[in-house]
Amino acid sequence: MVFPYTSPMHNSSQNAAIHPQKSRAASREDAGREPVIAVESLAKEYRVYDKPEGLLASISGLFQRKSRIVHALRGVNLSVGRGEFVALLGPNGAGKTTFLKLLSGIITPTRGTAQVLGHVPWERADDFRRRFALVMGQRNQLWWDLPAAESFRLHKEIYRIDTARFERTRDELVDMLDVRKILLQPVRELSLGERMKLELVAALLHEPQVLFLDEPTIGLDVVAQHTLHRFLTHVQAQRQMTVVLTTHYMKDVAALCERVVVITHGDILYDGSLDEIVDRFTTHKIVTLDLDDTPSLERMERFGFPCEIRGPQVILRIDRPRIAEVLPEILRSERVRDISVEDVPLEEIVAALFRSEAAQPPTTHQEARA
Amino acid sequence: MGRYTKIFATFARACLVRDMTFRTNFLLECITSIGWMSMNLAFYLLVFTFTAEIGRGTGWTREPFFAFVATGLIINSIVQALFMPSAEELTEMVRTGGLDGVLVQPLDAQFVLSLHRVDFSAFANGLVGVGLLVWSLARMDHAPGVIAWILYPLLILCGVAILYSLVIMLAAATILLGRNQSLYDFWFYLTNFSRYPAEIYSGPWGGPLRNLCTFVIPILLVVNVPARIIAQPLTGQGWGMVAAAFSAAGASLLVSRIVFQAALSRYRSASS
Repeated sequence: MVFPYTSPMHNSSQNAAIHPQKSRAASREDAGREPVIAVESLAKEYRVYDKPEGLLASISGLFQRKSRIVHALRGVNLSVGRGEFVALLGPNGAGKTTFLKLLSGIITPTRGTAQVLGHVPWERADDFRRRFALVMGQRNQLWWDLPAAESFRLHKEIYRIDTARFERTRDELVDMLDVRKILLQPVRELSLGERMKLELVAALLHEPQVLFLDEPTIGLDVVAQHTLHRFLTHVQAQRQMTVVLTTHYMKDVAALCERVVVITHGDILYDGSLDEIVDRFTTHKIVTLDLDDTPSLERMERFGFPCEIRGPQVILRIDRPRIAEVLPEILRSERVRDISVEDVPLEEIVAALFRSEAAQPPTTHQEARA
Repeated sequence: MGRYTKIFATFARACLVRDMTFRTNFLLECITSIGWMSMNLAFYLLVFTFTAEIGRGTGWTREPFFAFVATGLIINSIVQALFMPSAEELTEMVRTGGLDGVLVQPLDAQFVLSLHRVDFSAFANGLVGVGLLVWSLARMDHAPGVIAWILYPLLILCGVAILYSLVIMLAAATILLGRNQSLYDFWFYLTNFSRYPAEIYSGPWGGPLRNLCTFVIPILLVVNVPARIIAQPLTGQGWGMVAAAFSAAGASLLVSRIVFQAALSRYRSASS
């Protein structure tokens, strides 16, 4: 028997915690941290054209096309202080990457304002672009056919890094990630993990004050992920760099971020600490028992909700307020070989959070003909 | 050396290193390019076995005409080597979102998107063009004066500027449309007009076409003006064409800059 670890979201209690971004942003500023990123009512809309099926419809589409407005971001407010490591979480198409693209000035918003390091990003001032970096896990920014050392040399010129500083920073980063031996190998011959390490070195050569990371660990094996986690933690702490990360891997979030912003349908659904997510959005804990015998379903239901019974091993979901009273009772009435008590896996909590919002239909899509 | 010159030198160096990595491909490109050009020259030689001059009284006899062809080769090879590879790659960069990486760099995006790829094999035609020019000038009755020698390289630059402006405006259309392969074909058809002396465009159809390709899309000034300056005696009409070429180059660069910046501000980026 296998059941999901998470129970349906309790709307009455959790709706109060939804959309807290304004108060949180204010409280962070109150805490005295210098806001490096300040975003107000930022919205981005796209007009997309539907391509009709079939030959005749395609031909008529040449003269009259149906279009609709997609709201990628719907008036987001956010403030990030110097030295914060923030994770942007959300399902595919939630608006995370659009948000990063707006903050890095790649695209311009439909409405709203943003300041990053005191600059409006989409004005693309050189002084601003010299002080931040963007790494996209799904895109290669190094010269494909050449060794990374050549791309680094180009970065040196683009970012006007003086030779001594360039060599010092490059050597430090290269040694930290242990990539010296692949510096002279063409990038196209490297593994995904090696490429991502070199992308990070390139992005950090000019010592940016703000780093935007868009799914940097996508497709990487566990060892490479772990290496990047240690590297990013070290560099961020050492340089007091502000980092905004988008990811689908909760391991990234748990290893790197103290603050989590959940975006769905272009809105911020949650903005707070990682611990707070667990506190606010779970009502129970997961208790794993290793017993002497195989128990019956009824026997286990006395303690909580049995998620899984596989031989003598049982996984129970127990309401958090009852934990203190139930655990002694289990130990008293059952022959327990081993016991562990854990929070619901972060993936499950976040997935439930996404699902709860996904159930709400998106609004204000306009239709037009062009 | 200025920062942008240094960066361009780094681009060029990286492209040369890459070309040398794929040496056979590089050599094949040089050979194909020179082969295509040799066939064109053979065709023009064939034409001159039937006639002594292109158009009666135009002055485009065999040697001056080959100086014209040589000028066209030099201008085209500069554009093909410096600007076309980057412009052609732009479609792919817009489609895949590779343009994002350029926009976050503290550099003029138009500079990067115009010059980040250099095709050294395209210079092969230019070198042949220089050789053909020397051969033609050595055999011509008319020897270019000092003013012609001063104006010639400047007018070559004007021709390059006009063609570059056209390329970069088509590239801007790529940013807006996402894909515009047909517009690059359009560039090829248009530049075809620049390959022949302006005098051949006469009569009820040729006259309006000549005006269109001189004053609206100044493609006829690209090769005609520098070629006329070096291959024919400088006359009053010649000075008018020189002024027109400089004005057209300046105006083209200005308009293309405005169009490209407007396109960049409307960039939507590709989904990741």
